[in-house]
Amino acid sequence: MTSLDRDGPTVYRPAKDSGLLAKAALEDAHGRVLEVGTGSGWVAERIAEERGLRVVGSDRNPHAAREAADRGVEAAVADLLDPFRADAFDTVCFNPPYLPTDPENEWDDWMEQALSGGESGRELIEPFLADVDRVLAPGGTVLLLVSSLTGYEEVLALVEDAGFDHVVAVEESFPFETLTVLRLERTE
Amino acid sequence: MKESLMDVICCPLDKADLDLDVDERDDEEILEGTLACTECGEVYPIEDGIPNLLPPDMREEAAA
Repeated sequence: MTSLDRDGPTVYRPAKDSGLLAKAALEDAHGRVLEVGTGSGWVAERIAEERGLRVVGSDRNPHAAREAADRGVEAAVADLLDPFRADAFDTVCFNPPYLPTDPENEWDDWMEQALSGGESGRELIEPFLADVDRVLAPGGTVLLLVSSLTGYEEVLALVEDAGFDHVVAVEESFPFETLTVLRLERTE
Repeated sequence: MKESLMDVICCPLDKADLDLDVDERDDEEILEGTLACTECGEVYPIEDGIPNLLPPDMREEAAA
């Protein structure tokens, strides 16, 4: 617990989904890397240290950006891909907030924002996929974590609409969900 | 932030280039300063080494 955690944690802690994204990223990341929604910066730090790549981590939560920066990640406070240039990155990683959440039960704090994907579970995945092609350099790769709770087929439809082919990079089943990291490349 | 971050960031509103104005620097890290959009003029703060590139309406919401 950090001093910021006294009223409940304000930054998402690395969990099984983070571990799976790190596993895929250590395998597939190349060139200049962006991790969107970096949270504590744990995944970004591992890519930078174990692969020796330059990794930028962004999060809309300033407490998260602070933690990521303290781990040595190049951090920025940002909403998804908004402040990043066209063709800027060779690899973009994203473990999105994905839990479908009843609007009646939203409690509107940083941890909520780190977990909730809105009513569909896909409210951040949709704008991310619609914009990621812009920031990706030629030959670029996207690594996107998807939970079965979010609707795997629905996410694949969004991937296709955005002009990407997908392969399963890693997948693991847990009692309540299956987690998959998709590796996306532009459709030829 | 490192000055090399300028290679990958732009204004979140109109994607135009940003102008860096440094107030405080520590070796290669920029600790305090501003990033101003060369097109729309919106100014984004760099605080304690971290640029805040949220659009102004979200920045105010986050501060609350």
